[in-house]
Amino acid sequence: DTLNIQTSFNAGDFSTQYLTENWLPKISEMTEGRIEIVLTPNGSVVPARETPEAVAAGVLDGDFTSVNYFSGLEPAYAIMGDLISGYETPEQMLDFCREGGGEAVMQKAADAVTGGEVKVVACGPYSRESLPARVPIRTFEDLKGKKIRSPEGLAAAVFQAAGASPVSIPFSEVFGALEKGIVDAADASAYVNNDATGIHDVAPYPLYPGIHSMPSMQFTVNKEKWEVLSEADRKALRDWWYEAMYAMAAEVAKQDAALAARDDAADDIQVIDWAKEDRDQLRAVAREQWEIFAEKSGLAKEALDANIAYMTKIGLFQE
Amino acid sequence: MGIESITLLIVLALLALMALGLPLGITTLTVSLVTAILYFGERAGFFIVAANVSEVLHKYELIAVPFFVFMANVLERSGIAKSLFDSMAIMGGRFRGSVAVQTCIVAVVLAAMSGIMGGEIVMLGLIALPQMLRLGYDRKLSIGIICAAGALATLIPPSVVLIIYGLAAQVSITKLFAASAVPGLILAALYITYILVRVRLSPAMAPIYDIPETGLPFFKRIKYLKGVILPGVLIGAVLGVIYSGVATVTEAAAVGAIGALAVAAARKELTWTMARDAMRQTVLTVGSIIWLVLGAVSLIGIYNRIGGGEFLRGLLTALDVAPIWVIVVMMLIVMVLGTFLEWIAIIFITVPIFAPVVVDLGYDPVWFGVLFAMNIQIYYLSPPFGPACFFLKSVAPKDIQLQEIFAAVLPFIALQAVGLFLVLFIPELALWLPAMLD
Amino acid sequence: MKRSLAIYAGLIDRFSVFIGQACSILLFTCIAVSAWEVVMRYGFDRPTVWTIELAMALCASAWVLSVGYVTQRNRHISITMLELLVGPRVWRLFRLFQMLISIGAIFVLLLALWDPAVKALSRVEHSGTAMNSIQPTILKVLLAIGCVLYLLQLLANVIHWAQGTESEVDGGH
Ligand code: NA
Ligand code: NA
Repeated sequence: DTLNIQTSFNAGDFSTQYLTENWLPKISEMTEGRIEIVLTPNGSVVPARETPEAVAAGVLDGDFTSVNYFSGLEPAYAIMGDLISGYETPEQMLDFCREGGGEAVMQKAADAVTGGEVKVVACGPYSRESLPARVPIRTFEDLKGKKIRSPEGLAAAVFQAAGASPVSIPFSEVFGALEKGIVDAADASAYVNNDATGIHDVAPYPLYPGIHSMPSMQFTVNKEKWEVLSEADRKALRDWWYEAMYAMAAEVAKQDAALAARDDAADDIQVIDWAKEDRDQLRAVAREQWEIFAEKSGLAKEALDANIAYMTKIGLFQE
Repeated sequence: MGIESITLLIVLALLALMALGLPLGITTLTVSLVTAILYFGERAGFFIVAANVSEVLHKYELIAVPFFVFMANVLERSGIAKSLFDSMAIMGGRFRGSVAVQTCIVAVVLAAMSGIMGGEIVMLGLIALPQMLRLGYDRKLSIGIICAAGALATLIPPSVVLIIYGLAAQVSITKLFAASAVPGLILAALYITYILVRVRLSPAMAPIYDIPETGLPFFKRIKYLKGVILPGVLIGAVLGVIYSGVATVTEAAAVGAIGALAVAAARKELTWTMARDAMRQTVLTVGSIIWLVLGAVSLIGIYNRIGGGEFLRGLLTALDVAPIWVIVVMMLIVMVLGTFLEWIAIIFITVPIFAPVVVDLGYDPVWFGVLFAMNIQIYYLSPPFGPACFFLKSVAPKDIQLQEIFAAVLPFIALQAVGLFLVLFIPELALWLPAMLD
Repeated sequence: MKRSLAIYAGLIDRFSVFIGQACSILLFTCIAVSAWEVVMRYGFDRPTVWTIELAMALCASAWVLSVGYVTQRNRHISITMLELLVGPRVWRLFRLFQMLISIGAIFVLLLALWDPAVKALSRVEHSGTAMNSIQPTILKVLLAIGCVLYLLQLLANVIHWAQGTESEVDGGH
């Protein structure tokens, strides 16, 4: 059986190529040819924000999408999609999804926006985004007064609370805005992707490892399609996805680090890594904004409680 | 039914409905609705069309179109455009075709302040076309120049086409911008050369502006530059706003629209009626354009989902020819898709398939991006789905039919093909500037 | 019957023109809002998070709601090459055909847009951005309204066609 799955990755992204070359062949191996997956890039069949309903309607067999796109439908998606300045590594949050109750919250959110026709198989991030900046932002204090392009609600709220001015600029104008100095910094993508699109040519002070965003994705399958699968194939799909995400997280981290080291050694780019106390300061400010955001719906509150319980368990917060 | 037959049926249906005189937006919409419902059934088919159609209204880049249309309407109604072209005609003296050449140069300057094709075409269509016709220029020549030179907006940076390509193929946008500048100027030079040759062969196409002032020696004609000053200041201000980092390209268009009102006021030509009529005209123009885009966009998801991408991949892998011919075939595929899909759809469908192949063959994806953008230039002009022609039609004088516009752009399509092949076989034309900047 | 149809067509004409011309206010506000953002950000160092969404909502409203005006003025873009070939009498039949297909296509589009619009309204979809406006809801509902306006004016145009009271034809419907 072939599953048509739309991702929120762009066609040329490192992640698309990595998955296509290394992981798509594995799912047919793991299911002895019973399941093939065709990944189509961002927006190719429906706009990213419409994928849950596209899966429900059977237009797509599944999605592999950044859930931040759905935060206008249900505020819980903003918490689950990108808990700004929260986790330190993608692996921490993947663990939260797999073992810390993340999947259950995501299933509830999926049921809330569709008629229970979508099965959430797995969820979690694979990379921590770096923050390209055209001026040095070395400390928490440096954020004050900086114009930062951050269209997402929670990110904008956190930056604002930290003293920066969030600017909404559409994605297609980000490059020019950084180049000409309309903004001082802009949320973009993982270091490896920013390197490829040449953002560091115009924003030579990237904050890496990043300080804010770790976009989380979901892997869903149309419920009817899911129900005809055998128990073994269902398990294979879930295992396959997590294995792929852990492997991709490791690979992206490796490539990011190598590129950042290369750039830092060169003269024209200066990579900035925040100290732990600055990160802790931002996390404390961020947590207040998470709490405000979580007031927006019962499910959002549930999502935040689950996250904080897990983060406390792994030591990111003290009891 | 295979994807080959579906592709063929889609193209034939579009051609038939267009020929019967259906509005073009309705044509693409009808075909996408029928395809979607036949292929996916009612629920899924409805959903895929509705989702893609709604997304058009979220396209921020499109909001620059009304800004440009309004700016142009104000300039045209206030008489600024007329003085500008009078000045240009006098400054050109008795040199045959001078206004056409100057229009091309103005188009290049406008291209540096616009990243989308529609805004520039409607602007030139409103300002330059009536003036060129008034000065006795051949209709077809004038129309062709405006469509072709106006389309340069997405080849000369800034360009939304190059930005979307860069994001889809993960290629440096700085390099794409640097690489596309020279090919953009080459196309402009080809257009100018063509104009000069053409008006020499048939002088009736570009009459000499026969008033005493054009016969004056050059230094005495300088004082007639005054008609250029206000529009020049306006263009300079918009460019300044963009390149000094005050505003984004889209915002700069809004600043320009307000600036046009200020310029009209400075000439004491700003009246309530004039502003109101300019605005109403803008509503009619952009109102007709959006339904075109809606229809064209609704085909994209369907074509992708029924395996359009796989089909193209199959075509490419079946090829057993020299690498450069693989690139040529890719260019031909883009041209064919350009007959029935919107450019964003073309990028979505082809770039994921082409970009890795281009790299595997050992070519530079930046160079391919420039070729791609040049091919989009051809797509803008070529019938039956030639958006540049539609945009011009939306503002052209009533008696200019779409078929006349299509006939007028044919020689310019040939010139675009020449430019494309130049860059195809001499990649350095695109690549030397980014290499130098590195 | 004939008279009441003529009255319908006349009323719809005026309604479409009124709505369309009122759209100029939306478009002008859109221009002003975009320029305002530049002043606030560059002049006062106080960027806003609401101008983009507001500007887009204004522009999109003007695009969609002006459709009756565009249809009344026959400003939709089409290829009229066959008119020369088939002559005015046959072309007149073609024009009826074009309007009927348009009515069919827009009606089906309206059906397709109906459920998403109702759903968006019932749960109120937000943009999820810093401003978190209800822009997605507005736009989905607007599109459905635009289709209704388009249909009303197409029907009026068919009446004009049948009664021989068409306004000047400008290459489309
Ligand atoms: Na440009
Ligand atoms: Na074309």
